[in-house]
Amino acid sequence: MITIPGPGTPERQRLIDEHERCIRSMKGVAGCAILRCGSPGDTTSLSGGITEDPLLRAVLQRMRGQPTRGKLVAVCTKVDAEWRIARLSGVPGVPPRFVDECVFTDEQEVQHAIFLRRLDEMAAEDGMPEHFDEGWKRGRHNWL
Amino acid sequence: MRLTGYADKFSVHPGELIRFYVNCDGPSAFRAEIVEMVLGDTNPRGPGFIERPVPSTAEGVYPGRRQTIASGSYGFVPDNPLLAPASFTLQCWIWPTTPRTDPHYWRHGPQGILTKWSEGQGYGLFLDAHGHVELRVGTQSLRSSYPLRDHAWHFVAASYDAATGKAVLHHEPQIVYALDPPPAPVEAHFPLGAGKTTAPLLLAAFAGAAAPGNRQHPSGHVTIGHYNGKIDGPRLASRALSRLEIEFLKAGAARGLTERTHAGPTPALAADLVAAWDFSIGIPTLTATDAGPFKLDATLVNCPLRAVTGHNWQGENFDWKHARDEYGAIHFHDDDLDDARWEESLFWEVPATQESRSYALKLTTSEGDEDYVPFWVVARLGSPAKKIGVMIPTISYMAYANEHMATNGAGAELLSFRVPIMQDQNLFLAEHREYGASQYDVHTDGSGNHFSTRLRPILSMRPKYDSFIAQAPWQYPADLHLIYWLDVMGYDYEVFTDEDLTYEGLSRLSRYNVVLTGSHPEHNSGPQIDALHDYTQRGGRLMYLGGDGWYWVQTYHPGYDHLGRGVVTELRRCESGIRGWQAGPGEYYHQSTGELGGMWRFRGRNLHAVAGAGMAAQGFDVSTYFTRTPDSLDPRIAWAFEGIGYEEKLGNFGLCGGGAAGLEVDIIDTMLGSPPHTLGVATSAGRHTEAYLLVMEYYGLSQPGIDGTQHPRVRADLAFHETPNGGACFAFSSIAYCGSLPWNEGRNNISRLTKNVLDRFMQDGPLPPPPPEAIKPRGRADYDPAALRP
Repeated sequence: MITIPGPGTPERQRLIDEHERCIRSMKGVAGCAILRCGSPGDTTSLSGGITEDPLLRAVLQRMRGQPTRGKLVAVCTKVDAEWRIARLSGVPGVPPRFVDECVFTDEQEVQHAIFLRRLDEMAAEDGMPEHFDEGWKRGRHNWL
Repeated sequence: MRLTGYADKFSVHPGELIRFYVNCDGPSAFRAEIVEMVLGDTNPRGPGFIERPVPSTAEGVYPGRRQTIASGSYGFVPDNPLLAPASFTLQCWIWPTTPRTDPHYWRHGPQGILTKWSEGQGYGLFLDAHGHVELRVGTQSLRSSYPLRDHAWHFVAASYDAATGKAVLHHEPQIVYALDPPPAPVEAHFPLGAGKTTAPLLLAAFAGAAAPGNRQHPSGHVTIGHYNGKIDGPRLASRALSRLEIEFLKAGAARGLTERTHAGPTPALAADLVAAWDFSIGIPTLTATDAGPFKLDATLVNCPLRAVTGHNWQGENFDWKHARDEYGAIHFHDDDLDDARWEESLFWEVPATQESRSYALKLTTSEGDEDYVPFWVVARLGSPAKKIGVMIPTISYMAYANEHMATNGAGAELLSFRVPIMQDQNLFLAEHREYGASQYDVHTDGSGNHFSTRLRPILSMRPKYDSFIAQAPWQYPADLHLIYWLDVMGYDYEVFTDEDLTYEGLSRLSRYNVVLTGSHPEHNSGPQIDALHDYTQRGGRLMYLGGDGWYWVQTYHPGYDHLGRGVVTELRRCESGIRGWQAGPGEYYHQSTGELGGMWRFRGRNLHAVAGAGMAAQGFDVSTYFTRTPDSLDPRIAWAFEGIGYEEKLGNFGLCGGGAAGLEVDIIDTMLGSPPHTLGVATSAGRHTEAYLLVMEYYGLSQPGIDGTQHPRVRADLAFHETPNGGACFAFSSIAYCGSLPWNEGRNNISRLTKNVLDRFMQDGPLPPPPPEAIKPRGRADYDPAALRP
């Protein structure tokens, strides 16, 4: 699987910078893509982001495809005003828990904060034979 | 969330009562008032939240009380002396799905299989918390020597001889792998008898405290220890049987084996047979029939899944109606729910003059709690009608009701193509699984959730709620975008629901000159689609204002008809279509009606045939816009674009993804039911993102190149066609479309287009005929001019 570039590398900084540019351009859109709006908040013209950076696309896909246990999500705690980061339990009936007290005042900013947190938390390498665990034997449905 | 509620109806006629059920967990009182719901979207780029107070007799302050939900399906037979033999044998087949659970699992602990046991009295077969089969006789317990395999059939039986105290427990896996320990019975000596209990006999649970007269607990006891998995062929005999006799008793009550002189299966066993439940009888009902001599039928609570394969399914017949003997199992789930069964909090007698609109009971407390219970006032048949009827897609609301996709589905983020954003409702539902799941979810045991009830708080069907799917309103709050637009444009209209149409057919539709759909009428009953076809063929006009409509087969469970229209709806996701789960092999036929489930397309009812366009792709990051095609200049449809320039970008704005074309999008396809004279008047082709993927029923081979930047079918087409007798259909082909209507308070080109179409479609009498030159033969496959080139 694609390797996540390590801390301090130019590749990692490139991903962070482009992700942030995309997120900033998406402010005001009722939705979000890791693409740059031609005009802020206007999806008429889209470019950049994952369409121009295959590494960014692949890293984001790895992040998105993680299993539920411990996966980061965003929670709107005040409608149209406040958002926080939480972590899924992976156990039916056990709700997500907030990871900290940090409150975001824009729903797109929380996307970038989670991207940064995942870059730090996730192993650079995964999905190779040396990462085998018993869980691989079960046809674990990604939807579950 | 401390304040939640539901109503006994979605659709109420003027002059009728609507009853409300409210949980107020904490505050001593809550305030209730009726409001007309106009716009539920709080997005600051839109007009903002709009509700209108409706003075009513229901308005007031009511005492608060906590109301909880007792979910988990089970069957019960009321206490009966026959069910308390001193000696006994219990036996059945089981296919457990969660014999062991995580210690943090919401209902971790022992599970009841076949029990008449409560608080140390009685007897029963259980799974213990470690996944072993367990026999309980009073306070005494005997367990199998090793735990059960999940998702596999096992035959389990237990006998107890009160005279000798000998207890024997058999656990015989149907599948034995090479390295499995050999199955062997275990025995114990129980010096004490079972004792006495007034608890009912329970299937798939065991009894807790007595709860006489409590609506929530129809068996008269609180039920606990709900079992996850299938049970097939449970039997009870009033004697400790030998293993050979147990083998005979697998046949159950079999009068044919005794020349009909006894219940069977042998004369000796017939004398000691207490009950032999046969779940293959009465599959569309809520009764688990006892085929034995005493008719100790069990009542099923919370709608467990029937019409599922039993331990003896041969894989030859796939329709339970033609192989009943192989469908003797019921799949119980600890989070099944058919009715919250709350005590009534208040009611409203809807005035006879109340206008047909979208309403809600607004609930608030002095401590800042708030909830809304949506409902619709629907005109009676025979009353004076409006020209415009808006079809509220309530089956689709039920399908999505209380979805847990973002908290339980790892794939949710792949789908949304960004980190899911949730709200209070999602966190509450993640913890309160007793509120029941959506038909997009799997049960807590991982199997697909086939049923949805409207008799529970549906927290996803609320104003001020954005779904993670769209990061914007979805379904109910998204359909309020249309309601707002009708309101701000000054149209007079009526609303009606999917259940009105299902039960009334063309009688309902024939009231209107034009029928408008919601943004995502994905889930439909057969009678509903019949009525839509009947309507447009007789000259009715249909404006399909959404995307991914007419997709899934839904049926209402007849066992709940006494509680009203469309209380519980059933869905079986089969071998195609976008689906988060799939029904098991042999389990594609609905228990409610016996009809084949899955996609309407694969029952020969092409979705493109209903309104001219059908589902092609979905993506949930951002939306885009339409541009006109040369077809839009055709005199048959040019009137729809009056006031709109040919080069205009149609809908490059909106409250769902920022554009009118997005989320789930439909295309014209003459091979799949779009009439060959369909005009494709605008399209979003070439503008969708990588998040948009072609639906899987459009390709047979796993293949790359199916995203919105690559595949020509990933697009939305605005489609128009005429129907006989002056009728017509216009498909707007995108879930996001309605999200553009409120932009700039309705002053935009999407609004203009919609208004042009509606003004034409709502006129009295047949629409003007097409020009004579439009009448000509047209094929299906040769619709594409390029196909005729050598």
